[in-house]
Amino acid sequence: MNAELFGSQVNVWVDALVRVLIIVGMMTVVVMGLIWFERKIIGRFQMRLGPTRTGPFGLLQSVADGLKLVAKEDVRPKNADPWVFELAPYFVFVPTFLMFVAVPFAFGFQVRVLELGLFYVLAVSSVSIVGWVMAGWGSDNRYAMLGALRAAAQAISYELPLVMAMIAVAMVAGTLNLQEIVLGQSRLPNIVLQPLPAFIFFTATLAELNRTPFDIPVGESEVVGGPFVEYSGIRWSMFFLAEYAAMFILALLGSAIFLGGWAWPMGEQWGASWQLLLTTVKAGAFIFLIFWVRSTLPRMRVDQLMGFSWKVLLPFGFAQIMVNGFILVNGWPAVTSGVLLGTTSLAGLFAVGWIVQRSVSRPRPRPVMMARSEAAQ
Amino acid sequence: MTTEDATAAPSLDGTIWAEVDRALSGITASGEPSVQDVIVHIPRDEIVRGLRALKTDAALTFDYLRCLTCVDNEDEGMDVVYMLYSTEHRHNLTVKTHLDATDLHLDTATTVWRAANWYEREVMEMFGVRFRNHPDPRTLLMPEDITDTFPLRKDHPLAEIEVMQGEGMAFPSGEGE
Amino acid sequence: MTTTTPGQEFETQDLMINMGPQHPATHGVFRMVLQVDGEIVRDLIPHIGYMHRGAEKLAETMDFRQGIGYMDRTEYLAQFNAELSYVMAVEKLAGLEVPERAQWIRMILCELNRLSSHFMFTGAFGTDIGVFGTAFVYSFRERETILDLFEEITGDRLMYAYFRPGGLAWEVTDNFERRVGEVLKSARQGIKDMDGLLTENEIFRARTQNIGIISAADAIDWGCTGPVLRASGVPLDLRKTEPYLRYAEVDFDVPVGQVGDTYDRWLVRIEEMRQSVRIIEQCMAKLQPGPIMPERMPRMLRTPPGEVYLRTEAPRGEFGVYMVSKGGNRPHRLKVRSSCFANLQALKDMAIGSYVADAVAILGSLDIVLCEVDR
Repeated sequence: MNAELFGSQVNVWVDALVRVLIIVGMMTVVVMGLIWFERKIIGRFQMRLGPTRTGPFGLLQSVADGLKLVAKEDVRPKNADPWVFELAPYFVFVPTFLMFVAVPFAFGFQVRVLELGLFYVLAVSSVSIVGWVMAGWGSDNRYAMLGALRAAAQAISYELPLVMAMIAVAMVAGTLNLQEIVLGQSRLPNIVLQPLPAFIFFTATLAELNRTPFDIPVGESEVVGGPFVEYSGIRWSMFFLAEYAAMFILALLGSAIFLGGWAWPMGEQWGASWQLLLTTVKAGAFIFLIFWVRSTLPRMRVDQLMGFSWKVLLPFGFAQIMVNGFILVNGWPAVTSGVLLGTTSLAGLFAVGWIVQRSVSRPRPRPVMMARSEAAQ
Repeated sequence: MTTEDATAAPSLDGTIWAEVDRALSGITASGEPSVQDVIVHIPRDEIVRGLRALKTDAALTFDYLRCLTCVDNEDEGMDVVYMLYSTEHRHNLTVKTHLDATDLHLDTATTVWRAANWYEREVMEMFGVRFRNHPDPRTLLMPEDITDTFPLRKDHPLAEIEVMQGEGMAFPSGEGE
Repeated sequence: MTTTTPGQEFETQDLMINMGPQHPATHGVFRMVLQVDGEIVRDLIPHIGYMHRGAEKLAETMDFRQGIGYMDRTEYLAQFNAELSYVMAVEKLAGLEVPERAQWIRMILCELNRLSSHFMFTGAFGTDIGVFGTAFVYSFRERETILDLFEEITGDRLMYAYFRPGGLAWEVTDNFERRVGEVLKSARQGIKDMDGLLTENEIFRARTQNIGIISAADAIDWGCTGPVLRASGVPLDLRKTEPYLRYAEVDFDVPVGQVGDTYDRWLVRIEEMRQSVRIIEQCMAKLQPGPIMPERMPRMLRTPPGEVYLRTEAPRGEFGVYMVSKGGNRPHRLKVRSSCFANLQALKDMAIGSYVADAVAILGSLDIVLCEVDR
């Protein structure tokens, strides 16, 4: 049985092996780049320079860190559950890389064009929470346990809005095939038609990735790193790798389903290298936004996080699906339904903003200034 | 400028001593002027009654415990000192009670101000004064297993203490200093 | 007879979490044992004493000038304020008169120190709330400029030992006025930055408002001081109620909170920083050349017998020094009344019933310095 790889016929197993090697090799490089990028970006946000010493512009910093992590002793706590503890990194690592299969980079440039690509990505991405809980349970550490339970609760809460947002997009695109979703956006990216799902997607992505302001499971000042508190060396770096890989993949996914991926604004006739560049720029912007949020916002509390998901994002996600259904079922011309979709969704987005604003920014007495006469009485 | 001028006969006239004396009727109390706040001496057995009277008296209302500490006067026993303040009337008072070196027991002031809790715990472990009915008589600053020596007493050596892990403190041969 | 409903059949057990002494949110070596039911704190047992060094006992063996250094090490974020209480206690006992210029300079330095200490608070509290370092770095930029000034004057970044009984150790640098002006300019910007970054941030408000409320009556009963007490609505500021140095001659306000929660403690401190800038500006205008030590100082400082409890308003509240002298050149007993010690006592009351993350925020809002608590 043969398969086509780079224009030549090879055995399917060779094909699979080559593809896996490409994924792993590329992801490692990308993750190192991302870590460097994050450190530089956050450094700039904080009036620092970020890494400068290793290599030009500190580019080799991640390599140095990686070498250090590999060389470190792999410590396992005495009371840890050995199997659960040792296996947990793989349960986080493998699903993340499985997500990679369906992600589109350029026209025809993805590991597999799956008919149910969107569904597949969602299904696989939620598996990694098992690894988090395993890490938390197996470490025999109460911070880790608390962090793992927080992570589980958070993953369940934010998986649903994420699904809702994606369903809304799938309804508009009329397909679950990621390549076709991207192709359908060659004239207009989905974010124009569906700003509310785009917002929900971004928020849920932050929560899925445990990034600020939803970094509750790993909150440094509360649970000191959460489930990973007992991990060191190569195992810890696997978690780290998986975290950044997931960020990259979700950014690619977000740019594919909302920003038009490689198709918008150039259409599909441009060459693969231009499309790759376009995808990278869009994903980079998405990632930059994540870093920006991280360096600015405080962390939410666990009940606020849940409340935001269940009371705001989820109902609005449902409403968006219903509205989409009502509009699309009529079979109006593309312009009419497009305008309707865009306006209703934008209205929904403003409604979310208004609700959040109202619930948080209640009027509040400010400190009174006691001048000399009053204070000294 | 010289030291004699500064301490030139401070007196109780014009201070809140008159008010305090009235509030403490029925309690043997004596006043003493000092360079800053008026000092009231109350005997040990009546101290909590006196403190409560000072707190509840409408003209005084010492509702704020600034500080509680102890002074080791070696052979003359110890003084437990309470610094009081009234947030309403904005005046200060120092209350002192004398303990004999042989009998370092005292009623707790936590029933008057909750703030006294940690201060008393500190005095307990540092000076060996026992506060009766203290709600939480554990050590505060010292390790839990060191309860046999009182670091802030004057007879406690400043250096040359050999600490044996888990077995409390032991002094080198002789008596330390 | 009791009936069990399905929800009650499970027997649950509270989880004990040991937070500290090595924990990023405990600001040093404070340990609290949290008894949590899920995420809710049911009980909190604070443990202090990891930094106990016996500073009081040591100071009893030092003469009055040597003891100044121990005050720096007791309160290492507001060293000038700590030194001030100590030297003023000695002055009160010995009856020393401090020259006017020295008083103004002391005031300027103490207020600058209040600024630097509050900047430390804003940064550390931002980190407690979960801002990834940004608040911390911005605060530390301001703190650094202030510490640079202190270093120029005293020769040390942290342990100044610059105040002396009677006045100051030496004259300030020639460019003092220009440098203070620069520092104030930068500090004003820093206050604006911190205010803009966090005060109106929705998440910050959601995290801090109505968290860790302590009522005025409770705060007084627990002996809370400083911004914690004022945030609860008690206008108690020693600079106003018992003016020392020249505070009676400058014009400033005391911010008083109305709710007594974590957010109020933040607001009160931010406002206090603005007032400190105001005070320093007025002091700079009134600073005149003159002596910085009394004309006749004894070579060996001795005090007559007596006792004094001298308190000043440090950034964290009342920093008191109780000094008993039996004559001679060293205190018979020295007790440091630490402001954080009293505030920390009230932590248990504030934190029980809140979430674990809130307990961290409440602890951060108390702005404790463990060296001062444990002495």
